[in-house]
Amino acid sequence: MDRLGEIYQLLIPLPGYTVTINLQVLVMTGIVFLLALTFGFAAGRKKGLLPGPVQIIGEILVTQLYGLTEEALGKTHAKTYAPLICALFIFLLISNWLGILPHLEEPTRDLNTPLSLGILGFVIAHYVGIKEKGFKTYIKSYFEPVFFLMPLNVIGELAKIVSISFRLFGNIMGGAIIILVVAHLTFNILLPPFLNVFFGLFVGTIQAFVFTMLTVVYISVQLK
Amino acid sequence: MTLPAIDNQTLTHIAAYIGGAVAMGFGAIGAATGEGYTASRASEAIARNREHAGDIVKNMLVGQAISESASIFSLVIAILLLFMEVSDPGIVRAASLLAAGLCMGFGAIGSGIGAGVPAGRSCLAIAYQPAISGRITTNMLIGTAVCQTPAIFAMVVALILLFKPVGSVAAFPTCAALIGAGLSTGLAAIGSGYGGGMAAGASCEGVARQPETTTTVTTTMLVGQAVSQTPSVFGLLISFILIFKSFPASTTLSASVGLLSAGLCMGLGGIGPGIGNGMAAEGAVRWVARRIDYAGDLMRVMLVGQAVSQSTAIYAMVVSLVLIFVV
Repeated sequence: MDRLGEIYQLLIPLPGYTVTINLQVLVMTGIVFLLALTFGFAAGRKKGLLPGPVQIIGEILVTQLYGLTEEALGKTHAKTYAPLICALFIFLLISNWLGILPHLEEPTRDLNTPLSLGILGFVIAHYVGIKEKGFKTYIKSYFEPVFFLMPLNVIGELAKIVSISFRLFGNIMGGAIIILVVAHLTFNILLPPFLNVFFGLFVGTIQAFVFTMLTVVYISVQLK
Repeated sequence: MTLPAIDNQTLTHIAAYIGGAVAMGFGAIGAATGEGYTASRASEAIARNREHAGDIVKNMLVGQAISESASIFSLVIAILLLFMEVSDPGIVRAASLLAAGLCMGFGAIGSGIGAGVPAGRSCLAIAYQPAISGRITTNMLIGTAVCQTPAIFAMVVALILLFKPVGSVAAFPTCAALIGAGLSTGLAAIGSGYGGGMAAGASCEGVARQPETTTTVTTTMLVGQAVSQTPSVFGLLISFILIFKSFPASTTLSASVGLLSAGLCMGLGGIGPGIGNGMAAEGAVRWVARRIDYAGDLMRVMLVGQAVSQSTAIYAMVVSLVLIFVV
């Protein structure tokens, strides 16, 4: 029970300050990369008119996500941003599912992962906004409807990063904590597998999708 | 009559008992209300379509089981509070146990009521469109599961409050900070849980009305629910700051009250935006199902409306942060 929220860290002492590296998160993220690459390789290896099972899964994933992106961003922008959206979803999906395997932990359980992905989406959305509307119109949108609301508009934009990343972090971390506590209370009998299915597979899939869709939506809001 | 002197052990027990009572007592409100709503809609559904009574009852029971999970979370926290061995009794531990109970008790209200709404509406939807009862139930399951997110946040904060070692911290203002942390997530979860339920309810109706729009309706519902949950995410953030930041010892009452108020401000401030965002999402989902060709515009209006309604939650967060870091 004392391991609640504990992370293995590598501390590198430098003169003046200490560099902290979350080893566990790095290793787990590496595993996710490997799994995603394996999936991509298996899906694209023998491309044929008669697709194999992995190719079908890959095609369904990409078509669906591409369609959703196109709906929100329009044809031209979808061509640029759909690959990013697909990659984001696949990365998050595998990350959130990783925790159901023993001895592996979701990289999304550490706030650093969702936060960096949230900042990534935020930067891309604002880059698109500036590129599309021009710098002047972009800045002007912060002074609407009244100029003195500017600080609140800025805080509102920054709050988007907080909400998108903490939502994912809270759900995945919450699931992990609940599984840990219930497994401890029931001596690992009967309940934990079902909780893993619910929090790992089900909530993990939904949250990966929500995170991806919100990134798309944040980009599309900047476009208009 | 003189009261016996209260030592640390007794104080911790008192807090644990009150916390357990509050956790389960308040936690029972939401789930029971939601389940009752589900059953009432199920009666209406059966009255309209007697032949599919079996499907409707099955759907009702599945939906009620999920609505119940919020109060099961409360039960787990209450039992932990009553029977847990406390290794470090003292006033800080007492405050953290009381806060855990408050957090879970309030946090279960919204999700319980909210999850009942899609469960009830999906019973009616099955009565109108029995041919796609499987798809309606799946949609309902996704909606109700996402409604539980605020309750899950509350449970996480409650568990952290229960199990985080106290260590050697200044008793004041840490006690107040911990109770503030419990109130922040717990109260903010009320609005978000109910709001998410409204969006999910509309989506069950929408799927029945236009089965071919399922994908778009479910996507709009998920985005709408996610934005409705933003106030509870802010509540979680304030709770984490209050729990994990170490505050310098201070004997003045105002420092303690400031931290307690920070949690209270975010908690109360999150209720309204959660419900308001849920209303925005409900409208968007309902009309997306009817006018699928306008889905893009409807989603954009929903997001802009929610952003404006959300701004009050952001004001509450700003005030809370000022109370924590500045005052």
